[in-house]
This record gives sequence, C-alpha cells and structure tokens, in this order.
Amino acid sequence: MSNRAAASAARSYAASNASRLLPALGVGVVWLFLLVFLVYPLLRILYDAFSDEAGRVTLANFAEFARDPYYLRSLGNSLVLGLGTVAATSVVGFAVAFLLVRYDFVGRNLFGYLTLIPIISPPLVGVLGFTFIMGRAGTVNVLLEDWFGLARPVNFVYGLHGVLLVETLHLFPMITLNVVDALAKIDPALEEAAESVGARGFTKLVRITLPLTTPGYVAGALLVFIWTFSDFATPLVLGVHDLLASQAYLNIVQFVDRRLFRMGLVISALMVALAVLFLVAARRYVAIKDYSSLSYSKVARRRLSPLGQAGAVAFLSCLMLLSFIPYLGVVLASVGKGWSLTPFPVRYTFAYFERVIVETPKYIVNSFLYSGLAVVLCIAIGVPIAWMLARTRLPGRDTLDGLNTLILAIPGTAIGIAYIRAFHFDLPLVGRALTSLWIILPLVLAIRRLPYTVRGSYSSLLLVHRSMEEAAASVGARGFRSFADVTLPLIWRGVLVGALFSFMTSLQEASAVLFLSLGGWETITVGIFSFYIAGSANEAAALGVILIIVAAISVAVINRVAGARMGGMFG
Amino acid sequence: MRRFAILTLAALLVAGGFGAAQAQTPPIEGELALITPVSKFIHDAALKAFADYAKEKWNVTVKVSAIPAGTPVAYGRVVEWKGRPEVDIFWGGESALFEKLAEQKLLQKVEISREAWDSIPASIGTPKPIPLKDKDGHWVGTALEPYGLVYHPKKIQRLGIPEPKEWDDLLNPKLKGEVAQCAPTRSSSSNATYEVMLSMHGEDKGWDWLRKLAGNTGLFTARSRDVPTVVAKGEFTAGFAVPSYMAFEEKLAGFDLKFVAPRNAFVTPEPMAILAGARNPKAARAFVEFLLSERGQRVFMERGLFPITPKYKVQGPPGSPAELAVEFTGGVRSYFERDVSNVYDEAVAQKRSDALKQKFRTDIEATWKKP
Repeated sequence: MSNRAAASAARSYAASNASRLLPALGVGVVWLFLLVFLVYPLLRILYDAFSDEAGRVTLANFAEFARDPYYLRSLGNSLVLGLGTVAATSVVGFAVAFLLVRYDFVGRNLFGYLTLIPIISPPLVGVLGFTFIMGRAGTVNVLLEDWFGLARPVNFVYGLHGVLLVETLHLFPMITLNVVDALAKIDPALEEAAESVGARGFTKLVRITLPLTTPGYVAGALLVFIWTFSDFATPLVLGVHDLLASQAYLNIVQFVDRRLFRMGLVISALMVALAVLFLVAARRYVAIKDYSSLSYSKVARRRLSPLGQAGAVAFLSCLMLLSFIPYLGVVLASVGKGWSLTPFPVRYTFAYFERVIVETPKYIVNSFLYSGLAVVLCIAIGVPIAWMLARTRLPGRDTLDGLNTLILAIPGTAIGIAYIRAFHFDLPLVGRALTSLWIILPLVLAIRRLPYTVRGSYSSLLLVHRSMEEAAASVGARGFRSFADVTLPLIWRGVLVGALFSFMTSLQEASAVLFLSLGGWETITVGIFSFYIAGSANEAAALGVILIIVAAISVAVINRVAGARMGGMFG
Repeated sequence: MRRFAILTLAALLVAGGFGAAQAQTPPIEGELALITPVSKFIHDAALKAFADYAKEKWNVTVKVSAIPAGTPVAYGRVVEWKGRPEVDIFWGGESALFEKLAEQKLLQKVEISREAWDSIPASIGTPKPIPLKDKDGHWVGTALEPYGLVYHPKKIQRLGIPEPKEWDDLLNPKLKGEVAQCAPTRSSSSNATYEVMLSMHGEDKGWDWLRKLAGNTGLFTARSRDVPTVVAKGEFTAGFAVPSYMAFEEKLAGFDLKFVAPRNAFVTPEPMAILAGARNPKAARAFVEFLLSERGQRVFMERGLFPITPKYKVQGPPGSPAELAVEFTGGVRSYFERDVSNVYDEAVAQKRSDALKQKFRTDIEATWKKP
C-alpha cells in the first residue's frame, strides 16, 4: 500500500515536472525563433546602416542621405504619398463602413462581401491591370479618343497621383474592416445616452461615435500608411522612382556600385525606423483612447428611404466598379493577344495560361508548398504566443506583444534585405548558407505572416472563459491536457481564421521573397515579377488571375468562418 | 538468378565493346547553367536548342538553367562568387565588363575549335571598330544586335508626324511626353546609346541633346525591357535605345511595332564567356561551339538578331520568322554586307562611365518633370 502510494506520488511528481518542463521549453523555442529570425536580422540591417564597407561604425551614410536632394525629395514624396493615401482611404473607408453597419439597403450583404475583394489584388499585376484600363492607351482613353475625338490621352496613372489612386482603391477595405469591427463593438447605450442629452446627428457622430472607433481606425490607418510607404512595385510600373521604397529597391538590385548598395541598406533601415516610430506613436494614441467593450453589440440598422437607398447603392457601385478595374484589366490581359489601342482585345488565346500551368507548374507548386509550411510554422509558434499573451503572466509579455505588432509595420523589402545580410554565411554542419537553402522562404513567410495567426488565436482565447479551463483543471486535466481537450476545441475557429489569413497573405507576399528567391524556388508572385521583367505581361497576368482565384476562395472561407470579426485581424 | 546476372554481364560487355569511347568518358557534363541579361525569349530558345542537339549528338540529357539578371547585377554576382561560380557561363552586356572580369581572373579561355574561332571577324564598324572577340580568348561574340529606336505606327499617324528614321526625329516637339526610355544607370543598352550621343555631338552638345530627349520623355522605365512593351501597347509613341530582338519579340507576340537602327546605332556582339571554376566546362564549351554553328546562329536569326559571322545570312522561306525579322529590321540580312558606322569608343566609354551615370542623376533624373 505505502509502496504503491510512493510510486504514484513519484509518478505524479515526474508528470508535474514534465508538465512544467515542457511549457518552459516551448516558451524558450518561441523566443529563440523570434530572436533569430526577427530581432537579429533587424539589428543586422541597422548595423549595416551605421557602418562602412570596412565595418567601422559611422554616421557618414546618413549624412550622405541628408546631403542628397534626390533622396530628400524621395523621403518627402513617400511621406506625402503615405499620408495622402491614409486621408483618401479614410474618407472612402469610413463612408463604406457606416453604410454597411448602420443602414439597411438593397444588396447590403453583397456589398459587404465585395468590399473585401480589392484587398486580394495581387502585387504588380493589380497595377498592370489598372494601366490596361486607365493607362494612356487604356480602354478609357481609347474610348475617349475614338468617340470624342480627344487628341491626346489623359494621364490618369503615370505619376504620384496615379500611385495614390491605385493604393487608395486597393487599401480602403483595410479602413472599412477595422471601422466595421469597431462600430460593431460600440455599446449602443453610449449613443443613446448622448441622444438623451440632446446630441444628435453630426454632433453625436463627431463627439461620440468617431472617438469610439478610433482604436480600430488608427490600426487600419497605420497599416495603410506602412503598405503604401513600402510598396515599390506600384510606383515602378507607374514610372515614379523618387520614393524611398523605389530607391531602396533600385539601389539594392544593382549590386555593382557598392556605395549605392550601401545607400539601399541605409534607406531600408530608415524605413524600418520610421515604421517603428509611427507604430509607437499610434499605439500611444490608441492606448489612452481605448473605450470599446470587448463584446460585439447587436446594432440596430436604420432602413434607408428609397432615395437614400438609391444613393447608397450608386455610391457603392461606383466604388466597386473603380476597384474592380484592376481585375478586369488583368483578366483581359491574361487572354488577350496583341492588345493595343482597342477598347478590348481583338484576339483571344489560352496560350498564356497553358504556359504557366502546364509548362511551368513550379510557380504554383512552390507557392503552395512554401505558404503551407509557413502556416504550419505560424500555428506552431503563433498559438503558443497567443496563449502566453492571453493566459500567462510570464515576464516579457509586453515585449512579445510589441514584437508581434512590429512585424506588421516592417516593410517586406527591408525584411528581405535584412535576411540576405544576416544569413549569408556558411552554417556549421550544413556547410552552406541559409540564403542558399529554400527553407529560408517558408521561414521568412512565417515571420511576416505570424501576427495574423497570433491575433486570430488571441482574440478567440479572450472569448473562452477561464472558468472552463479551471473546471477542467479541477477534474485533473492540467496544462497541455486541458489545452488540447478544452481550449483547442473552443478556439479552433479563431486559429483557423488566423491561419487562413496567414496562408492567403503568404501567397500574396512579393517583397521579401523577391530578394531571397533563387532559380527553381520561384513562387507565383516571383513568377509574376520575372515574366513582367522578361516583357511577358500576359503570362504575368495569367499567374495573377490564378492568384486572385485562390485568394478569393480563401477570403470566402474566412468570411464564412469569421463573419464580422475579420477586422480584428488587422488591428 | 545467377544466369540472369551472367547474361546481364555479357550484355554489358558487348555494349561496352561497341561503345567504349562514349561509355568511358561522357563528352560533356549533364548540366549547364548561365547568368545573363539576354532576355528569356533568346536564352530559353538557345538553351533548349542546345539540349536537343546534345541529346541527338551524344545522347546526353543536359539539364539547362539560367539566372536572368540585368547586366550590372549579373556582373556583380560573378564578382561576388569569387571564382566559385554557381553558373558556368556569363552571356551578354558590354564587352568591357568581360575584360574587367578577365583581369580579375574570373574567366577561363573559351578554347573552341580554331575553325569556329576564326569564322568570327575581329571587329566591325568604322571609324571606331567594335571588337567581336577577345584577342586573348576570354570571350567571344555570339550574335550582332543593334540598339535602335521603336515606334507605334498608329500613334505616329495620329500625331501627324513622319515615321522616325534618325535619332533627331525623337526630338520632334509633337512627341512631347510620348517617348519612353530606360535610365542609363540601369540598362546597358541605354548606357551605350547615351555614350553614342556624347560621342556623336561632343560632350556638351551631347548632354543638351539628351536633356531635350528627357524633355520629350513621358516615362523612365525601371528596365530596358519595359521600353518596347509600353510602346507596343501604345502607352507611349516611341522608345529609345531598344535592342532589336526585344522589339521583335513584341512583334511576334502580335503587336504592331516598328524598329529602326539609325546611323551610329551601337551594335553589340552579345559576348559570352566561360567562368573560371565552372562546374561544367565541357558542356559550356560545347554550348559556345553550338551557338556559333549554323544551327545555333539560326536560333538568333529567327528572333531578330544577326549572325556574328559573314558565313550566314538571315533568310528563310517566305513567311518564316527569319524573313519576318528581315522585314522588321528594315531589310538587313547581315551586318557584314553594309557599312556599319560606329562612334562608340570602348576606352572613352569606360573612362567616363561613372561620370555619365553621375551626370544623369544630377542633370536629368533629379530635374526631370513629366511633360
């Protein structure tokens, strides 16, 4: 009897020891992963920016940047473009969000779904598609010339204004999603209280409703800013080179001139620094203004008058029409042969699809392989992070949260370059550099898209009440057991949404992988770039159409699983 | 079982007896990789034709691959590999870069058959000769390729101006905002043509000319390959410094586009070199020899390039790609049948190469306003 008791005590001691050791190990792995694949590369690129070819620490690079009027103009243009896009997307994004959340009209659900579509516009081909319709020889100009005898084409796209237009139509859903999310969380009692003391209409909107949506809005605005700030593909197609992102890209991809190469690194580091600065500022602002409740409230929608309905539908239809221009252009280009100066192609072919699907399926295979592996990593690292954030009081939680948000703010270009600089040395045992092994692509994708999985998991963890886990613990299920048997079944939906989002955005990723991809590793997005560079816009468009279809399916699934909570993903 | 083994052994012996030479030393390696600014349209076709040839001739399946990269990037990577290259061949760009690589001992001699080597003249063009092969044997030209101008006939007609024939035609005030070009800092064809303008007009007047061209320019593309693309589509009316084959590729893709090589248009031999430390030197040499053979040259002649030797002329049955190419490039069948005027001086170009790029940055890129 005593023997048996001792044995069982020893067993339970060993078990509790293991149950303590295992989480500790897990926490260690998570931190190691973040330190090696996020913190170290970023420190490396900062060091590059502050040192010369011989490795001596110096400020000379920044002095050179500050003395060069062209770089300063690029900095100014980047800031103007970023802020301009935020302003434009805010107006459009808010209007759409209000209509969708507060009013009822014909086709509201359909528009709700359509609003998501612009976001999945793949890199590079989105803007190509736009020029096919709105360019100097695009459908619109051709019609103007043919029907109205316009002598010279209208320049809709080439220049900063074109970049602003393309980015706005692409990114306004980020604002909409976040504001929809925030509006849905507002406690109706607050607005009723406002009305009871006489604040109605515009006053109520400005004094009560807008401040309440601030946290969600700021998060969305920050993403819009960073996205525009770091996008180099759109400006390059539109011939705008005096932007920081374009200069970083153009300087890095030529590697003969070491001085220019170094300036590319400096600009990348500067972009990281600015992104972090904006992130910190935004978080400070949001932290003191977080009034929203955690739960979603039932919103009473107001039925619009017939005239109001017509207005709402007309506005949304026009907007959707504009945002669908890129898709129309891409689809036409993927099947149109020799399309020039006619409103639509006159000859059609499937040869381009055949070439990218049948002759070179590697793009599609690689994309799914790398994004799939990246999502596995995202779940393996991201769910524990979410758990640590939501359920533990481990030291370093704030840092973990900060790092996770930081990832969203870092330009992909900078990450790609940082990886080249950080991992270009022969690994012990392997004898080759990480940069010459394809595994680097899933790794960089996992880091880039980790926040979505973390956020998806975190937000559903918050909704699972602790008491359920405590109940499990009271009947002896502790630690991992309670997580697997109780928590996981309750949060899988959130994890799945987060993971799908990570997957979809991995498929779309083009900035970091572009720098890291070597022959044979090409993904769909790299394929789009290399076909475009080789002068075959049609094949690029065909790959773009495939990417759009895959992404649209992902969004439909996410939308089904997540419902209105999708906005939380970006915050 | 044993009987089977003996039979197999016997079969092997018999086979070995007949094909001893091939079996002991395969004539070439089973792989070949290159890095090149020459676009996919040409390099894919050349590699594929070589793979077919190797299969027929030696029954060797060669796994061919290419890293596409602009000239500066390709050169930069070859230097970074420091004699342990990831590819066997560097193809295309300015021959001066090849001489620089040879100085750094990053190239091995081409060492092809005497006959193939001698079939290529040492140079072409007057008053400045353009070398077509390296006197020390480190690189060899593969095809002749003029950097000319392209235009969209329908757009020209709409603007009511004559079709451009000379460089100066690009300065027509009616073409304001209608010209596309690539920055010379990013493209070797643009760089060479800027150099041609400076040599033609002298430094000061040359820059005046280039500034005027910038005044008519509506788009500076990020890559030279984009220039014929935007003109073919009709986004812009004319393009400056475009390699002939890039324009022809658009023509074959079904676009209405015209190409002219005006006087003094630079003609590049598209140099090719085998890298020192290449893993597949035999396959690399076989590839060079193949490209210089009639079959290899045909790959180029059907794609808007010209033979590197007077032995061949671009011709084919009516309606064939070769005839289409002749018509497209203004009736030229061989550059050895005509006077090639050239003012591009390799030595001068090398000396002012950095200054040219710097001046472009300060004088044109920094002040250019979209017309």
